[in-house]
Amino acid sequence: MALDGLLANLALGLSVAATMQNLMWCLMGAVIGTAVGVLPGVGPVATMALLLPVTYVLPADGALIMLAGIYYGAQYGGSTTAILVNLPGESSSVVTTLDGYQMARQGRAGPALAIAAIGSFFAGCVATILIAAAAPPLTRLAQQFAPADYFSLMVLGLVFSIVLARGSIIKAFGMVFLGMLLGLVGTDVNTGNLRFTFGISDLFDGLGFVPLAMGIFGIAEIIANLTNPERRDLVSSKVSNLWPSREDFRRSRGPILRGTILGSVLGLLPGGGAVLGSFSAYTLEKKVSKTPEKFGTGMIEGVAGPESANNAAAQTSFIPMLTLGIPSNAVMAMMIGGMMIHGIIPGPQVMEQRPGLFWGMIVSMWFGNLMLIILNLPMIGLWVRLLLVPYRLLAIAVLFFCCIGVYSLNNSANEVLFIAGFGLLGYLLIKLDCEPAPLLLGFILGPMMEVYMRRAMLLSRGDPWVFFQRPLSFAFLVLAGILLLLVVLPAIRKGRETAFQE
Amino acid sequence: MRIRNRQDFATGLFFIAIGLGAYWIAADYPMGTAMRPDTGVLPKALAWLLAGTGIILAGKSLVADGPHLTEWAWRPALMITLATIAFALLVDRVGLAVTMLVSMTLAAFGTPETRWREYALFAIFMVVLGVVVFILGLGMPIRILPQGLSWR
Repeated sequence: MALDGLLANLALGLSVAATMQNLMWCLMGAVIGTAVGVLPGVGPVATMALLLPVTYVLPADGALIMLAGIYYGAQYGGSTTAILVNLPGESSSVVTTLDGYQMARQGRAGPALAIAAIGSFFAGCVATILIAAAAPPLTRLAQQFAPADYFSLMVLGLVFSIVLARGSIIKAFGMVFLGMLLGLVGTDVNTGNLRFTFGISDLFDGLGFVPLAMGIFGIAEIIANLTNPERRDLVSSKVSNLWPSREDFRRSRGPILRGTILGSVLGLLPGGGAVLGSFSAYTLEKKVSKTPEKFGTGMIEGVAGPESANNAAAQTSFIPMLTLGIPSNAVMAMMIGGMMIHGIIPGPQVMEQRPGLFWGMIVSMWFGNLMLIILNLPMIGLWVRLLLVPYRLLAIAVLFFCCIGVYSLNNSANEVLFIAGFGLLGYLLIKLDCEPAPLLLGFILGPMMEVYMRRAMLLSRGDPWVFFQRPLSFAFLVLAGILLLLVVLPAIRKGRETAFQE
Repeated sequence: MRIRNRQDFATGLFFIAIGLGAYWIAADYPMGTAMRPDTGVLPKALAWLLAGTGIILAGKSLVADGPHLTEWAWRPALMITLATIAFALLVDRVGLAVTMLVSMTLAAFGTPETRWREYALFAIFMVVLGVVVFILGLGMPIRILPQGLSWR
């Protein structure tokens, strides 16, 4: 019966995703995603932020299909740059540079690119099925959530983002608190009181998520990247001999499978997503390999595992967003922004109220992956040419797109001033080695948590024990507590540090 | 007393400063009751938590060794910020073309690697692209040229 339901849902999704229009938006997302993936210093978060205002004129399903395509498309494109230029096009392909670039130097760029794309495709297909299978039961569970449960789930989400953040745990705590404080700026929705507005009327509605993300991820990255002039050692702009040998396939089979599983699981975690997936998969491949010392010299396993994992994780990170309405990373926060623009409140009700949109988006991911493998393998030469644009010009173009993108949100020049400020804040955070992802999550979840906390307290008539009396809420809080204990214990902290260093 | 980890020390001070500042501003926000928590509860709690985090971080930086702060990149930081501010101040006043030229040229000063002849060609390309895509294509309500040179 469950299978029947699943098939019916997928058929509904197919009818939405396979319309000419939506296929076009999907292709558009895949193309844009590949382009920003290939270009170092331009990430999916900033790109989606730029395109949010544009999606306003699209129908809701087309807009979300395109935005989703940008994210997983970027995972494909990122590996191209990593393999050919030894620069991560995307932060999730950092580890791909280690063995991928070595393979390219040995004249095996073709097989490396092909395995990365095939691994990504396989992972994308599995993750799509996983989303389709996991969404209905999770949604049913979420419908039983009371305010206290939601509050505790968000606490757990923030704890996850702290635990999984790179670098110092204490700094990650600070980033979450700072993000929540920034999220409180504006009018308190319950009482109408103003908070932290300094009498500036532009702040009465709160700080915008798009200017914040664009400043911290877009502008700050430009400043940081201009500081260290990059050197692009393009191995060769002509990639010949694309098809991997039988031996390559045999060696990649295991890593692709393991990477897909590992990535799918890690993608579910808040604060996880593509970067964590690829790093962990590389570590795992090194551990299970009989010749770990050879990693870094052009092992195809070191490309296959991480590239499958980052694509799987990119896609499964949609699950918490689609079913619970909770973003697990900055990109999902953007997706939520995209839904809100079209008047859709993210949460478990989306699947019931807008089944066409929900399933259409999921099925479009499969189409998107199919398009991407075609876009990325036969047309690789085209993308490589993008790399000939030097960063000194690219930076100026990105800066302009950030400015005009934020301006177009509300035709407000003042919001452009905000991104100048957030850009400096973001640069300061880079200098202080504070990862901005937990800040962004705190910014989104902070105000939501306040709403749920108030509802829970009202329902319990002021009794704070409500958070421990409901079984679900209690379970989330206990899990959060255990996680925090684990990272505070020194032995495990050491393990975590080595995992991130590798 | 020696600061052994300047990066963490600076981060700690930053957190403490923001935390105290936020608390000072939020001091007279009403707290409400347990059943109806009011405007001030979360801001004050977060201000304390942030300042507390900063104190722990700064304290730890006196005990354990760690990285120094690396050199600040004044030139790109200043020029990119100025370029953004210039865009914000000019766009409603002198139209998109002039705004883009001023803003992009400021940004080009942000790196010593700019080659000016290459930049000039690129700038013309970008202005044409910007006008065609955003004003003619997407129909954004911005002037193209300054008022005196009227054309839209």
